[in-house]
Amino acid sequence: MNFPVWQLGFPGGLLIAIVAVTHVFVSHFAVGGGAFLVLTELRAYSKNDDALLGYVRRHSKFFALLTLVYGAISGVGIWFTIGLVAPEATSSLIHTFVWAWAIEWVFFFVEITSAIIYASQWDRLDRRTHMAIGWIYFVAAWMSLFVINGIITYQLTPGRWLTTHNIWDGLFNPTYWPSLFLRTAMSVLLAGVFGLLTATREPDDVRQRVNRWAGQWMVLGTLLIPIFTWWYYSRFPDFSRTLLNGSLPAAQHPIRMGILSAALILLIGVSCAIWKPRAMSKPLVVLLVFFAFSLMASGEYLREFVRKPWVINGYIYANGLRVADVAQYQQAGFTRELKFTSTDDLSSAQYGHDLFISQCSACHTVDGYRSMRKRVVGWDSAFAKEMLAHIHVLRGTMPQFAGNEQDRAALGKYLASLNPPVNYAAISDRAVAGKHSFDNRCGHCHTINGNFRPLKTAFAGGGTDQVQAILPVLDAMSPNMPPFTGTPEEAQLLSEYIASTANAPTASARGGR
Amino acid sequence: MFQPNIPIPAADPMPLPGPLWLLKTLLLVVFFLHVLFMNCTLAGGLTAVFNAIRGRSERHPLSRRLSADLGRALPVFVAFTVTLGVAALLFVQVLYGNLLYTSSILVGVYWFSVILLVILGYYGYYYFSAHSGEKATIESIIVLSLAVICFLAIGFIFTNNMSLMWSPQKWLAMYRARPSGAHLNLGDLSVVPRYIHTIVGAFGVFTAALAHYGTLRFKKDREYGSWLVRRASVVFAGTTVLQFLIGMWFLMSLPRNVALIFFRDGVGVTVFGVALLATLAATILLLIGGTAKEPSPLIHAGFGMVLITVALMVVMRDMVRTAYLQPYFQLSRLQVFPQTGIIIVFLLTFVGGLATLVWMLRKVAQARSHQAATAK
Repeated sequence: MNFPVWQLGFPGGLLIAIVAVTHVFVSHFAVGGGAFLVLTELRAYSKNDDALLGYVRRHSKFFALLTLVYGAISGVGIWFTIGLVAPEATSSLIHTFVWAWAIEWVFFFVEITSAIIYASQWDRLDRRTHMAIGWIYFVAAWMSLFVINGIITYQLTPGRWLTTHNIWDGLFNPTYWPSLFLRTAMSVLLAGVFGLLTATREPDDVRQRVNRWAGQWMVLGTLLIPIFTWWYYSRFPDFSRTLLNGSLPAAQHPIRMGILSAALILLIGVSCAIWKPRAMSKPLVVLLVFFAFSLMASGEYLREFVRKPWVINGYIYANGLRVADVAQYQQAGFTRELKFTSTDDLSSAQYGHDLFISQCSACHTVDGYRSMRKRVVGWDSAFAKEMLAHIHVLRGTMPQFAGNEQDRAALGKYLASLNPPVNYAAISDRAVAGKHSFDNRCGHCHTINGNFRPLKTAFAGGGTDQVQAILPVLDAMSPNMPPFTGTPEEAQLLSEYIASTANAPTASARGGR
Repeated sequence: MFQPNIPIPAADPMPLPGPLWLLKTLLLVVFFLHVLFMNCTLAGGLTAVFNAIRGRSERHPLSRRLSADLGRALPVFVAFTVTLGVAALLFVQVLYGNLLYTSSILVGVYWFSVILLVILGYYGYYYFSAHSGEKATIESIIVLSLAVICFLAIGFIFTNNMSLMWSPQKWLAMYRARPSGAHLNLGDLSVVPRYIHTIVGAFGVFTAALAHYGTLRFKKDREYGSWLVRRASVVFAGTTVLQFLIGMWFLMSLPRNVALIFFRDGVGVTVFGVALLATLAATILLLIGGTAKEPSPLIHAGFGMVLITVALMVVMRDMVRTAYLQPYFQLSRLQVFPQTGIIIVFLLTFVGGLATLVWMLRKVAQARSHQAATAK
């Protein structure tokens, strides 16, 4: 890899996620909250409601403290973090969008200045000017979102930019508009949630008025979200929709979490904020903040998730390698690109570790998150070397391995060294031993009776001999299959397992992972 | 450009999206503005600590006033330091990204901690701001001191990273020793004098600004204004003498080929010479103006000279970076493909944004004078 890798002991993506999710939570509030401030101020003037005006003054201090400090600094924090964790992609984004960021910076500057003035000059400015400054704040904040939204959506759907390299094609890409509307709706929702939060410190009568008012914001935002999500989803690339539609179970949890959070926000919003504002207790508000965070986090997780294996779809993989360079690395080797190595012996397992760090560690650790040790149980170095030639077809979420045969051999050696060899003969139950072998060698790409590349159709009605016969010629049968490199005893156990499971009478015998 | 034994990540394959002169000018201008506010954040914080402690005694009401004034101003200084720093970070990434990312990864643990330190320091300043009314409380002084320590630490981390950024010959050995990013660049003899130079320089700029502010305040509040001017001018003069010695130390700590650009290269000699003259002029002007019976307009001229000095120092810093990187990396060799359309949009947005800022600040100033007039 062109750059050294910051070896934290866990994928840097997690660090980006922590910084980014907390930032977007506050920064979306910073957008919607701006409109909430001015409109609440206007409402207070039009109703001659001094108590409401007192509330909005106090809310503006909270708003400034949260958005100017945590919101603004965590935004810079994202830059720091992505520069550390994904320098190649960051550099590419900066080179593509430096002027868009410069424009966004102008809005950011106006946003910061107007927020300071708005929150601190209540007693000095006349109403008209004060509200004008509030509107300036809101417009600047929303324009900031307007620009950044282009850069974020470009990563999933760069669209025509891939051929034109024109910045406007990159910014106003296929998912730009639905994402902008979706994020605006989220901003409205968060304006309401934080409005409710600061209202908990108000006397009863004001609190009820604010609850009803802020509740309307929250409910409006929540109602708009499914509409814009559907629009957004309809513009997703096919591979992203496949990932969401069940090819990876990991996507189902955030989908459920997001839907549940939105439903609960809606339920509490309608029943306890708008209908019975007196019922909006502090614990309920805390729950609402939690649900709103959970909704935001689910959305952001899924947005990142559906881009796999890309950081910029069709251009740069999640590990920072440009797709255009991969063929060259596969032919000439990765050595020239891998500048920061721990050894000069290119055939050693240590060099394999360097390759692991540069090409795999963006998403995998050895023992922790997405543990590699668990994934390569039962892999000998020859098998690992062959698997590396096919990793991009496993489940569609991995990039191609960018290296030649020597690189694959070194990484294979390292991966094989992570576990002791499996002694299948020591497992007394032959079916269990066969299942282990299947999981280790075949289960990464196949099931037997399941939905994912099932083997049942190939082996139903056949016997152990049929499976045995094809094991030595797997790589000749399909360019995407690695050869079987196990012992004859393991081949026998594996064949028995596949044949018996494929011919099992009930659907309950679902083989494989 | 390529040094076979020294691994240097290649520059991004995409061309620079704007003319080099424009990107460089923007980098230097925003960095200059960033430095001014950073100096106020740092030296202003330390000054606030000193005056808050001193102001707890009834005998020092003016110190109390200064610490309260600073309490209100410090969060604003941080806001603009960060906002302008972001712009500098943007342009330095586009020009020197391949170097900056690498050095940042090597000091990754410290570099990442900058964000936490800014958040803590920023909230610390806000806390002091809210508790620095009549007499600063002990708690608020402790919080303020901790916040200042955060900002001092940030400066130290930046000094380490920025100096490591232009020393690629160290990178591979550092990475092999510890790939976790737990390095500093203390092996570089110029790091310590450079850091002290920055901190003392911050005091110089801040005290000159304070003298300037005192002169403006003098019209409305003679006692406070003249006290500010006198004190700030004297501290400025003392700081400048100290800075002269530290500057020499810093210069001598630089590699010979780098230091020599200020003695042999025509542009280097000129910039260095004018910067020295401007510093000398600023010291004389502030001393004369500050020790006069009444603060004189010489203070404004002296402050102007300080601004010129800072601008020249920013240029000198850039020359040092270029000299360090000469064997490894030259900006002039990068490909350029300007994105003309969006550059025009940026310039228009910039003008619009500036006009909006001016309008808002004018409204605040008008409201302030209206309020003062009403109070009379």
